[in-house]
Amino acid sequence: MVPSPLAEHAILLASTFLFPPVAMVVVVVVLLATLGKSLGLRERYVATLIWIFEWGARQIKTTAKLKRAESHAPLDIDIESSEEEEEEEMDEDETERSTARSDGYESSSLGRQRRNSANSVSSRASSVCSLRRRHGSGNNIIRRDTQLNLEDDDDDLCREILPVTSRGWAVIGDSNGIEAIIEDEVTSRFEAEQLMTWNMLTRTSTRFFQFVNWKLTALYMAGFIFRYACLLPMRVTLFIIGLVFMLVSTAIVGVFPDGALKKALNHKAMLTCHRILSRSISAVVYFHDEQYKSSSHGIAVANHTSPMDVMVLSTDNVYALIGQSHGGLLGLMQRALSRASAHIWFDRSEAKDRSAVSKLLKEHVSDPDKLPILIFPEGTCINNTSVMMFKKGSFEVGATIYPIAMKYDSRFGDPFWNSSEQSWGEYILRMMTSWAIICHVWYLPPMTRLEDEEAVDFANRVKKVIAARGGLVDLEWDGMLKRCKVPPKLVAKQQEKFVITSFLTCQQLQTFTLCTFGSIYANRLSRYTSTCERSVPGTGGGAMNGDDAEDEGIASSPPISGYASLEELPEAEVVTDEEDNERPIPRSRSRPASHVVEPGH
Amino acid sequence: MGNSSSLMLRDEEIDNISKETEFNRNQIVRLYSRFLSLDKKGQGFLEREDLMNVPELAVNPLGDRIVDAFFTLAGKDDKHLNFRQFVQVLAYFQPIDKTKKNQLNDRSKKLKFAFMMYDLNRNGYITREEFKVILNSMVGANITADQLDKIADRTIEEADTDQDGKISFEEFCKAMEKTDIEDKMSIRFLN
Repeated sequence: MVPSPLAEHAILLASTFLFPPVAMVVVVVVLLATLGKSLGLRERYVATLIWIFEWGARQIKTTAKLKRAESHAPLDIDIESSEEEEEEEMDEDETERSTARSDGYESSSLGRQRRNSANSVSSRASSVCSLRRRHGSGNNIIRRDTQLNLEDDDDDLCREILPVTSRGWAVIGDSNGIEAIIEDEVTSRFEAEQLMTWNMLTRTSTRFFQFVNWKLTALYMAGFIFRYACLLPMRVTLFIIGLVFMLVSTAIVGVFPDGALKKALNHKAMLTCHRILSRSISAVVYFHDEQYKSSSHGIAVANHTSPMDVMVLSTDNVYALIGQSHGGLLGLMQRALSRASAHIWFDRSEAKDRSAVSKLLKEHVSDPDKLPILIFPEGTCINNTSVMMFKKGSFEVGATIYPIAMKYDSRFGDPFWNSSEQSWGEYILRMMTSWAIICHVWYLPPMTRLEDEEAVDFANRVKKVIAARGGLVDLEWDGMLKRCKVPPKLVAKQQEKFVITSFLTCQQLQTFTLCTFGSIYANRLSRYTSTCERSVPGTGGGAMNGDDAEDEGIASSPPISGYASLEELPEAEVVTDEEDNERPIPRSRSRPASHVVEPGH
Repeated sequence: MGNSSSLMLRDEEIDNISKETEFNRNQIVRLYSRFLSLDKKGQGFLEREDLMNVPELAVNPLGDRIVDAFFTLAGKDDKHLNFRQFVQVLAYFQPIDKTKKNQLNDRSKKLKFAFMMYDLNRNGYITREEFKVILNSMVGANITADQLDKIADRTIEEADTDQDGKISFEEFCKAMEKTDIEDKMSIRFLN
C-alpha cells in the first residue's frame, strides 16, 4: 500500500521534529556507556514501574473483592477460608491475584511463610530477598515429598523405610510416577517463570490475562503504546549502534600488535559496546561482591538463562568466549570479536571431538596473557528458577573456577529464551518490548579442584554454591532433557536402586526369596548409599512378616560416593545443542565445555 | 484482551469437573495449566508420548506402564486423553476422605490402577508371564532370570487362591489387603 501524500508529509514532519531529541538521547547514551557512567535513569524508571505494578495489583484485588461480594459462590467453605487469608494478605504487596473467584491460591503454610518473609522487603527491585524467595512459592499443584533421586552420593540417608506388606507387588505405592505427571522438576524449568503479579505484559502469564476493570485495561493499553512506539524504536537504534560500534572498534583494535596496549584497548572497547547493547534492553544489572571478580586467566562459570547472560556479564568485565562458529549475523560478530582478542570458536566437526575442544580450552587457560574464559556449563537455557547439571568438561581442565550466580528479576520481562519455541529474532524483539531486564550478579570466591576430587564432584560443588547464592533450586537433572529422551542409563540406574532397596527390605524382613540379592548388594555398597524412594518400596516379601523391621546397620552406614558405576554404563551419544538443533555433540557428564556461548548478547 | 479465551476453561466446565471429581476450582485451573504445558503440540488432548516426555516419568522403569494404565482407565478411546479424562484419572489419587462418599478415589479404584499396570494385555488377569515382564523392567539386568522366576513363582502362588495360574482382580485385591493403599496411592493435592 502506498501511503497517501498527506500521511507521508505527516511522517516526514514528525521525523524532522523528532530527530534532534532522538539523536541527542542516542549521543548521551553512547557517551555514558563509554565513560561507564549512569545517570540513574533506569533505576528511577524501574522504581516507577514497580509503583505502577503495585497500583495495578491493588486494582485487581479490589475488583476481585467486589465481585466476590456480589456473587454467591457455591463453595462456601472455600470462601470462608479465603476470607481469612484475605486479611493476611491485605498488606502484602506481592499478593497473588488470580481471578475474580480466586481464593487462597497458596494454602500451604509453607508458601505463606515464604511470602510473608518476602513481604517485609516489599517489591523493591534492589531487594535481593524478595527475588530469592519468590521462586519457591510458585505454581505448585500438589505437595511432593518423594522426589526422584538421581544422585549417587546423596547425604540423606534413608530415614523412612516404607513398610512393605506385599511380595512382588512393588508397583503399589508408585504414586511418584503419577506425581510426575502432575508436576515435575524438569519440564517446568523450561517454561516462563510464573509471576505473582501481573506486569502488564500479556506474554508473561495467562493467569492474569483477563478483563478486570477498565482502569487496568487503559493502563495496559498505555503501556503497550509506550513499549512499542517509544521504547522499541529507541532500543533498536541503540542496538544497531552497539553492533556497529562492536564491528568498528574490534576492527581498529585488531590493527594493533599483540601486547598490553591491545589488551587495554580491547578491554575498553568491549565494555563500551556491551554497555551500549545492554541499554538497548534497559538492562539494570547489580553486581555484588566485586572483589571476587576474575581478573586474570581462569574459567568463569555461570548459570545460564538467556543469550543475554554474556552481555550482562560483559558490562562489568571482559571475558573470552567459547562456542561453535556460526554463519550469518552471529558469525559476523564472532569474527569481529576474534579480531580484538582470543576467543575459541570451534567447527561443527570439532564439536563432536571433545578432546580437541578440551585441548583448546586447556591451551587458552594456561596462557596468563589471555582473558578469563566464560562458560555456561549447563549447556542450555533454564528459566532462572533452578540450576541444572553442570557438564564436567570445564571442571576437568584444572584451572581456577570463578563461579558467578545470576538471578534475573522477571517481573519486568522474562529473560528466559525458550529456544525450542522462539527464534533468535523473536527473542530479541521480545526483550526489546519488555519493560526492562533486571539482573543480580554475584561474584563468588574462586574455587579450585581439590586433590583426588572427581571433576563431576567438583562441578556439583560449584553448582551448589551458585544455586545457594543466586537463590536457585539445585537440580541434578541434565538440562539437555529439554529436548532429548531420557538416556537408558538413567533408567538402568533407577532399576539398580530398586534392586538395592529391595534387598534392604528383604533383609529387614528375613525372607529368603530375595536374599539372593546379597551378592549384588555387596558389589554396590561401595558405590551407593542406601536409597529409599516411594517409587521403589521393594519387592521384599512382607506378607509373612512384620512391617516395622528396620535394619539399623545398613540404614546408618556412611555414604560413600563414587561414580565408577556411572562411567561404566554406556554413554548416550547424541544430543542437540542450544543454538543448533541438528548438531550432535557429546553429551552428559563426560561432555566437555563444548556448549555454546553466544557472543554479544 | 481476548485472544487467550480459548486457553481458559469456561465456568460451567469447571463446575462439572468439580462435581465429578471433587477437585476444587483452583485445583482444576492449575491442573489445566499443567495439561496445557504437557500438550506440547497444542492438540487439545494428550498422547502417550506427551506424558513420556516428562523426564521424571521416562526415567521411571515402570513409566510406560503407568502411562498405559492411565490411558486405559481414561476411557474407550485410549489413544487420546482429554482434559476431563485426565482429571478423572487423577481423581483416583485423591486421598480417601472417610466422611464423603466418592466414587472416584476409593480403594478399589486405586487398586484398579495398580492392577492395570500389571495386566499387560488387559484381559482382566495377571499371568505369571506378565508379572515377570513387570518385574524385569523394574530390576533390569540386575538379577538373573533364575532369581526372577523364583520371585514370580512365589508371588503368583501366594496370591492365586483359586489355583488357576493367574491372578484375577479379586485375588489381587485380596493380596493387597494388608497394604496401605490409601496412603501409598494418594497424592496430596494442595488447595
